[in-house]
Amino acid sequence: MFAVLIDQFWSLTIAGIALGFIYVLVSLGYTMVYGVLRMINFANSEIFMWGTFGTIVTSRDIFGYTQTSAPATGPKLALVLLSQLLISMAVAGVTAIFVEYVAYRRLRAKGTNRLATLISAIGISIVLSELMRLLTDSRPVGSPRVLEKIILGEVWGANLRLDTIITIFAAALIYFLLERFVKLSRMGKAIRAVSMNEDAAKLMGVNLNRVITTTFLVGGLATGAAGFFYITVFEYTKFNIGFTMGMAAFTAAVLGGIGNIRGAFYGGLFLGLLEVYASAVLGTQWKAVTVFIVLVLVLLFKPNGLFGEAVQTTRA
Amino acid sequence: MKIRNYWNLRDYGANIWENAGRPVRVAIVLVSIVLVGLLPFTGGSFLATPIASFDAVLVYPVGMFVLMSLGLNIVVGKSGMLDLGYVAFFAIGAYTMAILGTTTKLNTWEIMPIGIAFAMIAGVLLGIPTLRLRGDYLAIVTLGFGEIVRLVVLNSTWSKGPNGIANIPMPPHIGPLKFELENQRVFFWVVMAMILLTIWMIRRLSVRRPGRAWEAIRQDEDAAELMGVPTLKYKIWSFTLGAAVGGAAGVLYASKNLYIAPEMFTLNVSILILACVVFGGIGNIWGVVIGATVLGYLPDRIRFISDARLLVFGLVLVIVMNFRPDGLLPRKKREKAIVKREANA
Amino acid sequence: MAKIGKTLLKLDNVTMKFGGVTALNGVNLEVKEGEILALIGPNGAGKTTVFNVITGVYKQTSGIVDFDGTSLGNQKRFQVTALGVARTFQNIRLWGDMTALENVITATDVHKKSGVVGALFGLPRARREESENRERAMEILRFIGIDEYSDRLAKNLPYGVQRRLEIARALGTSPKLLLLDEPAAGFNPAEKVELAATIKKVRDAGYTVLLIEHDMSLIMGISDRVVVLDFGTKIADDIPSVVQNDPRVIEAYLGVPADAS
Repeated sequence: MFAVLIDQFWSLTIAGIALGFIYVLVSLGYTMVYGVLRMINFANSEIFMWGTFGTIVTSRDIFGYTQTSAPATGPKLALVLLSQLLISMAVAGVTAIFVEYVAYRRLRAKGTNRLATLISAIGISIVLSELMRLLTDSRPVGSPRVLEKIILGEVWGANLRLDTIITIFAAALIYFLLERFVKLSRMGKAIRAVSMNEDAAKLMGVNLNRVITTTFLVGGLATGAAGFFYITVFEYTKFNIGFTMGMAAFTAAVLGGIGNIRGAFYGGLFLGLLEVYASAVLGTQWKAVTVFIVLVLVLLFKPNGLFGEAVQTTRA
Repeated sequence: MKIRNYWNLRDYGANIWENAGRPVRVAIVLVSIVLVGLLPFTGGSFLATPIASFDAVLVYPVGMFVLMSLGLNIVVGKSGMLDLGYVAFFAIGAYTMAILGTTTKLNTWEIMPIGIAFAMIAGVLLGIPTLRLRGDYLAIVTLGFGEIVRLVVLNSTWSKGPNGIANIPMPPHIGPLKFELENQRVFFWVVMAMILLTIWMIRRLSVRRPGRAWEAIRQDEDAAELMGVPTLKYKIWSFTLGAAVGGAAGVLYASKNLYIAPEMFTLNVSILILACVVFGGIGNIWGVVIGATVLGYLPDRIRFISDARLLVFGLVLVIVMNFRPDGLLPRKKREKAIVKREANA
Repeated sequence: MAKIGKTLLKLDNVTMKFGGVTALNGVNLEVKEGEILALIGPNGAGKTTVFNVITGVYKQTSGIVDFDGTSLGNQKRFQVTALGVARTFQNIRLWGDMTALENVITATDVHKKSGVVGALFGLPRARREESENRERAMEILRFIGIDEYSDRLAKNLPYGVQRRLEIARALGTSPKLLLLDEPAAGFNPAEKVELAATIKKVRDAGYTVLLIEHDMSLIMGISDRVVVLDFGTKIADDIPSVVQNDPRVIEAYLGVPADAS
């Protein structure tokens, strides 16, 4: 049972880190919105799914790649990949703003109870996934291979594949840039101010709606980038892939302490590794179950996550 | 007395009810039950459904949706907790029926309590870690749970994996009433009986301590706990009773369908049921009944909806919450009736 | 006037910290049976924090809270209520969609045994407790003088009635100690006089009252003793007339030493 794990430990580890960085970016979408709204962004999984389609549409329809065409090389490769990344981010960012506008804003202005907002959010996520189901006729969509999966070298018997390496470094860079943005920029400071104390931030002249929209946008951009990396590694998407991704990324966010950006980083990596190891031991069909059990255990024993930030109801 | 109130159906109905004596009320209830019970005989009329036979549509989706919506309403409507994995309890009931029905000599009615018990146990096990946390967590954990139950039956051998379980026995006849595949009116009457039982349960609990506790939790949980309501206990009860109704529906569903497979228990079912609750009016029994009837029936009557059914239901959730958060028939506004009665007295 | 008896509630060196902020700093406080004790202090002095520590909303960072022989701090909040502590809220937190009567009945449930099973099957005990609660709640509404509103939804009641209903609901739990958090907020002078009478009546009926209030004339009129908090520290604890002239209290309120003016 453990033979596979021991045998392929290092290649599993590299795959786990790449998957982990994808989780890190998607969990930013959960954790940032949770920080300012104290509410889960239910539609984040579907924002991710739309992002993956952004990547495929770019290579397939804008650059005209097909399943049989030769992979790109040189400057053309950089151009295609960069366009895929940016367009995915844009698609996801716009979707995120749309979600905020349609599902959250009106109810927030009315000050109605949380239940209504939760239901509205789950509704919009159903709408997003169903729209895509009808558009794609429920069929999986494969991605043309733009990036040839060259093996760059070998470390302890594990192959270093180009797509995995690009994913790890580029995702780490995007994470780093976002973290700097939240820490240093004026808007980032406003976002943090709102997550600490909404009323005080409002009194200090922070434009709440703008902060919330920006938070959704930034979370969406991160999630969209994750969609690009996901396609680069797995080369396939479907209208319903958001669900498993969403559960895993949410679990990562809770594990790291939801609302906490650094927490999303550690949580995502931890979960990526755990999932890959667990799949090797138990078989891939059980990975979603593993993730779910981790989520329940964390909520049971460490509901504030490993890095703090209270998730329990704020008291009277 | 304002005449204008009379074209408000809810108030109109409430008026008749409040002013009626006991015999009149009993008569109203009996006549309504008989009328609804006669529905399977109206199959040839304008109500007929183009593809599925009308009496089958009355059992599933319509009857089952009403039953499950009433169960989910205990959780979402009464105590204000969002349960997105309701399908899990339905699946647990259905698989209990399927496995016990095909491997033991127990019949549907004997398996029913076992299925309900399993669903309730699952409810407690899931409730304990999550109901202490704020509502969002319950929502997402139940969302995951619904999918996990499906994945477990999909990947296990005892559940026959993706092939599903066939040859599930039908319920044995009740007196002269025989269950038949071609004509499902007896199933419909059984669903009706279960619906009535559920309504009876909800009404009873609503006017007593559990109902007050749930209402207090829904409106201000912190205040409830500080006024001495053991909130966790009552939340678990609410969650578990909802699970029980879902489990019961599952047992009957398996015994009616004779075959079940994991693909029947996707997240979509949870969302459909939630839409039924929200559309009719969260927390109001009659609103839920009407909402579930309409949303259960329409996609079978109007064919172009059936393909985009889930999209429509998603839109229903967003639109109702944003523009009419209380649904078609909002929670009964008791005060109006009371003030009016006082004015008349 | 009710007789003042043994110590009912004792806070011994209670400190409450939130992150780096110290909200309460070694507070000692005693409430004796049958008295009306007022807790005053400038905004942010930690008054409501005291209530939140007593009722279990927060767990004190250090120190002991002893209520009637039981040490508080590890109970669930509803258990604290069952022990005999009830409170009202500064910002009214009634259950708006329930009638006034139902609000109070819900509070009376705390000492009853029957639950879901009893209610479902209409067991004799459940039925008996239901009718007992209804009568008791009605009695309380009459006692507070708002029984004419019993069937109205709480959210539609006039402001003053809502404030009184908060007191009635707290009394519904049959508390030994009643905590009132600014019960006169937003009242005009006439309503304040009426409220003062109600609070006295409550005390004379055998309840002990701990009261947070800003209105000095109200406090001076009804309290047996006044405790003053400033920046989380107790700066005075005496009968009203003495506290009123304490230079430290005046300084805390005016922000300058009393003799400087």
